[in-house]
Amino acid sequence: MRPRAASDRPSRARAARGQVASLILVLAGVSAAPAASPAAPDPTLILRRAFEAYRATSSQSAVAMTVHRPQWERHLDMKVWTRGQDDALVRFIAPPKDAGNATLKVAENIWVFNPKLNQVIKLPVSMMSQSWMGSDFSYNDLSKSEELLEWYEHRLTYTEQTGGHTLWTIESLPKPGAPVVWGKVTVKIRDDDVLSEETFFDQDLKPVRHMLTEKVGPLGGRAYPVVMSMHPLDSPGQWTRIETLEGQFDLVLPEYLFTLSNLQYPRQ
Amino acid sequence: MLPLFAWRNLWRRPQRTLLSLLSIALVVALLVCMLSFQRGVYQVMKENNLRVFDGYAQFQAPGYADDPTIDRVIDHPAGIVRAALAIKGIGAAAARVNGFGILANGERSYGALIAGVDPGSESQLSTIAATVRAGRYLNDTDRDAAVLGELLARNLQVSVGGTVSVLGAARDGSVGADVLQVVGIFRSGIPQLDRSILEMPLARAQDAFDMTDRANTIALGGPTLSGVDAALPRLAALGAHHGVALLDWKALEPAMRDAIALKYAMSLLLYLTLVAVVAFIILNALLMSVLERTHEFGVLLAIGMRARAIGLMVWLELLTLALTGCAAGFAAGAGATWWLEQRGISFGSLSALLAQYGLPPRLYPALDPVSALTGPVAILVAIVLGGIVPYARVTRLTALAAMRSE
Repeated sequence: MRPRAASDRPSRARAARGQVASLILVLAGVSAAPAASPAAPDPTLILRRAFEAYRATSSQSAVAMTVHRPQWERHLDMKVWTRGQDDALVRFIAPPKDAGNATLKVAENIWVFNPKLNQVIKLPVSMMSQSWMGSDFSYNDLSKSEELLEWYEHRLTYTEQTGGHTLWTIESLPKPGAPVVWGKVTVKIRDDDVLSEETFFDQDLKPVRHMLTEKVGPLGGRAYPVVMSMHPLDSPGQWTRIETLEGQFDLVLPEYLFTLSNLQYPRQ
Repeated sequence: MLPLFAWRNLWRRPQRTLLSLLSIALVVALLVCMLSFQRGVYQVMKENNLRVFDGYAQFQAPGYADDPTIDRVIDHPAGIVRAALAIKGIGAAAARVNGFGILANGERSYGALIAGVDPGSESQLSTIAATVRAGRYLNDTDRDAAVLGELLARNLQVSVGGTVSVLGAARDGSVGADVLQVVGIFRSGIPQLDRSILEMPLARAQDAFDMTDRANTIALGGPTLSGVDAALPRLAALGAHHGVALLDWKALEPAMRDAIALKYAMSLLLYLTLVAVVAFIILNALLMSVLERTHEFGVLLAIGMRARAIGLMVWLELLTLALTGCAAGFAAGAGATWWLEQRGISFGSLSALLAQYGLPPRLYPALDPVSALTGPVAILVAIVLGGIVPYARVTRLTALAAMRSE
């Protein structure tokens, strides 16, 4: 018997970044290029613009997470701060059992704080594929948020009109030799830069998990996927939904926010 | 009458017959010894590996084998443990909570299997208790104690008396966390386990991981693996009654099962070669003697003996030869094996290598009906079937042609 992932398969380990976009509103290093002509949209550009629409130079938001299992369902509330594309701090505030737990991401490193231990623990590499706070997201989803843009080649496969928007379907395949787990990712993006669906395929090109934007609303002056859900396809009746309740973007956050001492002794 | 002829014919050429007998006996003895040794080694290998942690069989929560998550649980494990202990051949049953989580000591952190165990029953079926190199194993009065593998302790830079923080996912999806005192460090001899297992008291783990009155697995042990294997049908019935899955050793250690099957398949090739070579040698000798005696057979036919009877006589010569050789070989092989079984075979400087495979420094062959009889029966069958060739040759003879053949 071998110790194995608690609730996340290693194959689900590395995700592209879209699914955590509402958690970590990271800014791409490059500035958005002017909109491509509608006749021949560049898929890479569409993706980049969509991911940038979630992010800003910084953000502060209140997020509710629902983890659904056939036997039970949990609701967690958290506050999320992000800075640039690398740094993020998530602090759980409810329910009481989980309140105080916090996750800090700086570059590719992740630290967790647990109030019962009153201790900051650096996440070992072997645990990156584990479930994050019992959800259908893994720590890798947090730490490898840039993977899709960096390691994949994109192709526009389908364009449709729906609900007053143009909807682009983009198929992303890993570049040769790319150190990624997903064999293919398909993304659906609206022309107002809202990511509407994302499907992850394993190396045999079988769909493994599916993320869906359930509700688009105005947030921080933009159209924003305020409710998103992640569905592992091999476990029916199991999903995680993330709802962004409020958010502010492009604010000046104090330097101390993304430090280990603030993780353990919150000042905010 | 014919058997007597056959026996006498054999000894018309005592030298050739003796050589034939010797080659049969040698191969049979070799087969008995090798097969017994192989079976003995594999038996020890299986038992030693399984006794470290797995147990000889396990009850598991349904689906746990494919997807070992902490929320796949066995409810009220105590009742199943009691019922399992009442089954003949089962000597120990231990409920376990298996959490996969982070162990941390200061800046250092590693992923590990955090096993909540009942110290009393655990020490009866797992050798981890006996391989504690520093400190002691868990006991029934322990609360926040832990023992962990040597390599894990080294990675965490923790020693006996130190503390380890445990962080993992609980059954309800919340965070399970605890701080434990290291009371012992074990070296099971299997690096993979020494690098990845921490054991803590069951009740404490049930608290930390929201597993009160629940377990993920129940490991089963007994005096012998074959005893537990024999109890599998009753265990399966017990498991079905409680809605839990039963895994035998093959399901627990599929890699070991495959490795053993592969080794048997490879040795089978060698054994078949031995059997074929000796069968051809014997047949060749007999065909020679048939050729030499063609004139004689012609005479026998001429005086009224039926060709079939002559064929049968030749075939009986072969059978007698094979039986005698097999009997001698069996006696020698089984005797030698029995002797080795009493004192064991020491491998001296190779013992370190053996330890890597979970083997003791002294190995004992296992003489049982299968290992003792497979070789002799295979040789006997091969030679008896091969005897059809000279039989057919003899029955085709006609008196005149045979007598002229010189």
